[in-house]
Amino acid sequence: MIGFFVKRLLQAVFVVLVVTLFVSYAVRLSGDPAIMLAQGAGSVTEEDLRNIRIGLGLDRPFPVQYFEFVKGMLVGDFGRSFLGGTPVSRLLADALPATLSLAACSLLLSLLISIPLGIQAAVHQGGPIDQAIRIGSLVGLSFPNFWLAIMLVLLLSITFPILPPSGWDGPVSLIMPTLTMAIIFSATNIRLVRTSMLETLSAQYIMVARAKGLKDRVVLYKHALRNCAIPLITYIGLQFGKMIGGLVVVEKVFNWPGMGTLAFDAISARDYPVLQASVTVLALLVVTANLLVDVAYGLVDPRIRNR
Amino acid sequence: MRTFKKTLLAASLAIASLCSPLAMTSANAAGTITVALHQDPGNWDPIATFLVAWGAVGGQVFDGLIMRTPEMKLVPGLATKWEFMDKNTKIRFTLRPGVKFHNGEPFDAEAVKFTFDRLLGEEGKKGPQQSNYAAIDKVVVVNPMTVDMLLKSPDPVLLTKLAGYGAMIVPPRYIKEKGSEFFGMNPVGTGPFRFTEYKPKVSLSFARNPDYWGGAPKVDNVVYRFIAEPATQAAELQAGRVDVANQVPLAMLETLRKDPKLAVVSMGGPVALALRYNTQRGIMKDREVRRALIMAVDRDAIIKTILLGQAKPIASFQGELSFGYDPSLKPLPFNPAQAKAMLAKAGVKPGTQVQLDFRGPDSNFREVSQAVAAYLQGVGINVSLKPYETNVLLNDIIPNGKTGEMWQNQWGGWTFDYDNTAYSMYYTKQRWNPFDDDTKLNALLHTQRNSWDQPEREKTLKEIGRYVADQALEMPLYSLNTVYGVNKRARNLALPADGRFRFVEATVE
Amino acid sequence: MSNVVTPVVSSTPRSLRWRHLRSLEFVVGVLLTATMVLLALLSPLIFPDQGTRMDLAARLVPPLTQWAHPLGTDPLGRDVLERVLLGGRISLFVGFVSVAGSVIVGVAVGLIAGFYRGFWDMFLMRCVDVQLALPFILIALTFISILGGGIGNIILFMILSQWVQYARLVRGLVLSLREREFVQAARAFGVRDFSMIRHHIVPNVLGPVVILMTLNVAENILLESSLTFLGLGVDPQTPSWGGMLADGRTYLQTAWWVSVIPGLAIMLTVLGLNLLGDWLRDRLDPLGRP
Repeated sequence: MIGFFVKRLLQAVFVVLVVTLFVSYAVRLSGDPAIMLAQGAGSVTEEDLRNIRIGLGLDRPFPVQYFEFVKGMLVGDFGRSFLGGTPVSRLLADALPATLSLAACSLLLSLLISIPLGIQAAVHQGGPIDQAIRIGSLVGLSFPNFWLAIMLVLLLSITFPILPPSGWDGPVSLIMPTLTMAIIFSATNIRLVRTSMLETLSAQYIMVARAKGLKDRVVLYKHALRNCAIPLITYIGLQFGKMIGGLVVVEKVFNWPGMGTLAFDAISARDYPVLQASVTVLALLVVTANLLVDVAYGLVDPRIRNR
Repeated sequence: MRTFKKTLLAASLAIASLCSPLAMTSANAAGTITVALHQDPGNWDPIATFLVAWGAVGGQVFDGLIMRTPEMKLVPGLATKWEFMDKNTKIRFTLRPGVKFHNGEPFDAEAVKFTFDRLLGEEGKKGPQQSNYAAIDKVVVVNPMTVDMLLKSPDPVLLTKLAGYGAMIVPPRYIKEKGSEFFGMNPVGTGPFRFTEYKPKVSLSFARNPDYWGGAPKVDNVVYRFIAEPATQAAELQAGRVDVANQVPLAMLETLRKDPKLAVVSMGGPVALALRYNTQRGIMKDREVRRALIMAVDRDAIIKTILLGQAKPIASFQGELSFGYDPSLKPLPFNPAQAKAMLAKAGVKPGTQVQLDFRGPDSNFREVSQAVAAYLQGVGINVSLKPYETNVLLNDIIPNGKTGEMWQNQWGGWTFDYDNTAYSMYYTKQRWNPFDDDTKLNALLHTQRNSWDQPEREKTLKEIGRYVADQALEMPLYSLNTVYGVNKRARNLALPADGRFRFVEATVE
Repeated sequence: MSNVVTPVVSSTPRSLRWRHLRSLEFVVGVLLTATMVLLALLSPLIFPDQGTRMDLAARLVPPLTQWAHPLGTDPLGRDVLERVLLGGRISLFVGFVSVAGSVIVGVAVGLIAGFYRGFWDMFLMRCVDVQLALPFILIALTFISILGGGIGNIILFMILSQWVQYARLVRGLVLSLREREFVQAARAFGVRDFSMIRHHIVPNVLGPVVILMTLNVAENILLESSLTFLGLGVDPQTPSWGGMLADGRTYLQTAWWVSVIPGLAIMLTVLGLNLLGDWLRDRLDPLGRP
């Protein structure tokens, strides 16, 4: 068991390194941060650009730059942003809680929505409630997320000035972004819960429990729900990567100061230290989530463990 | 289930409350002006950057020897007077007495010397500002209230540049004690507002400086919020959470105007837009073709309908406030029939394909480029529009000459002097000129660069403008107005055309 | 695995209605999808000028006010109805072609990995790990900022990031099928590998793959619009739903139809595809996981 865990851990580290290497290399293939910083200056000579590059550490060969980055990362020093020299660790320390809180709240809200609805759909399978919930969830899945975000802002910030349209000024600002993400997540999760519940409900042991005379409710929530917890968690874990993708767009619309905006702006600005650090952190998050899922899975299903 | 639901609910509330940011921004506190700024330059050191966004903040906390008013006039700043001496190789500045930096340090000749030594020395080398001041040799202290600036070469735009970023005066003791990095995050200057707090990429706050030499500001605080998307800036304006927005989408001007608490302020600005031609590719090699393309596009209609009148037509790559602007130089008229004839005569077949590169995220220009494409289609040219990420376009595609037949050329021209623009655009091998190599043009550009004779310069600059138009090196489109969305509760903002705010006289209700 | 038993919870009258409504789902799904696809395919015949005819005098005409422009016009005076229909071509093209590519590559690799294990299996699992760790959007940004946007690159990029899903799915299915009795029996009989794959494995794999395909087409249509919204998509002259949405964003308060109508088009198409996928899943794999 430990062997399995260690193996997965090493694989995780490997993956993160590959990802950061790829992104770091790819982003250097085009665009020059020195020119970007020198924009607007009357006439910039090659000499000036060279000096700027030296100041940024870009005159060294790529492997050296990458190695320095990894080395620094291990001691928590992510370098300084090209755009002004802010320590990257500070940028990360500000952005990570923003993204994590948004992600956590979205996840929670989506669970709050999808679990009860999924259960209801399963219990009333085939009936109008089931149909309504299924169609509703399909509709939720079909929204382009940024469009949903924009419509929400239009409705809840401009037409009815209730909520702040952007930024993070306290818990109230969380409402719209969370709503946007949760609606789309719930759509898939509802169906997952429903399917798992359906499968569980038809299982033998449930019939036995019923035969024993346990109340429906007890049967439902104590036994059946626990059974679909695992696939649900598995699925959420695997969806982490997709969620980060969705977060980037939502963060953009709401001007949310999180990792998505950080990474996006860093790519545009060719701000290599910030980009490398934020992609690393994001990859770490996703990989950790997957790792946890794998471990949980491995614990439950011995067949997987021994492959 | 109840316990389960309750746990979930409790967990969510807990997380939500823990999710408050570290401190809340006070958007509408009495006596605070909030400004939406589209970019966070990340470093408040005057020598570190050229970004327009820095200028929006710099003027609140720093002063230069010379300052520029919103009407683009040069007036005394930290220097009360200046005098050209020794055949214009030396400028003597008399400094303003009794001025202190925000940390209590006195402003004197030593501070000026320190500033320029730093700008022109090792520290300045790392940033883009240094090259702008290459004409200065060094600054010499004559006495605590007088300095001499010795020049290596003539620079007719120098006085304007002294009102620019790099020449803003910084505190020697503070920087020596705390270091440049700390200074970049915690700026100290002589300006009307003093720095209080900086949250990277989120906000930047200032409090008034009651000892300001120009008179204490009337508002208590100025807060900048970094909001990149114009549509979001507009939303915040409508929600009453920002008082000034520097990038409102033109599409929303009417909506904002209709809002009783908001106003739209518009004025001629420094930004000029043109479609620069790749004169080495395909049909663009022919001058007649280039001119025909200009005549095929109804630039006035574009200005009127898409830009809602918030721009002015131009014949050369500068606006009317620019030094070197020639009002007698008229743009080529809109005449699609003639354009077609010219194309036919040049042997261009209908259906010829050209590519137009532009900045993808620029939503206003997206529309403009589509309009241009539609017009060109009207004379038989098929345009494929290629959006690029702004930085890729500016740092790779243009300088390396990888463009299509034409590209979006946009220039800030903050000096309001055609020299700055023209040199970068037309001189051989300049960053923004990957294709053209014209000896005559080079010579013209060179002469005006190093001459103090302003009327002579103006003549030369006008000649340059005329020559470029004659050669049709580009399709001049328009010069954009600077447009701000403001909340009427903020008054006397003295909004400038170059985006550099200074709220000395501003008040809020 | 559990028995395929009708859940105890449903009763007879309901199940009759259920079957009827299920067909409704199918019907609506097919109708929606087919309509959008058909309209999109036919549009160049109905509108030969490619939806680029600009009319600056007729900017932002509201829908249902003029016969010539039943759904109104956009900021450049172009007809919204025309552009929505033509836009469908691009969006659907991107969606279908990218999925087709992913399927071809993914299924092939998945089959080999699942059947033969060994190197290909290991390679695939590493690819899965890496691909899962990379948020699509960020990689799209990096990739597109190097190579520029445009239909070809977007499709290529979607294929590169999605083939792994199919490979993983197929691999998993193959792995479980391998252990099944009939396959082991066939092997014992000496049936050749290729024949086995063709006759025993592929038919069982087809179902889930098709389901995933319908869902992915829907997803890719959404992704294309996201990319265009972020400024990295197709040539803005060519009508595309994502592009129209992005163009209309700043007009939401003055000319809502410029954004809302293409948004609706995306939603309806994606909904149709999802309904289809749902119905397919019900038929082919009633208790399977999404």
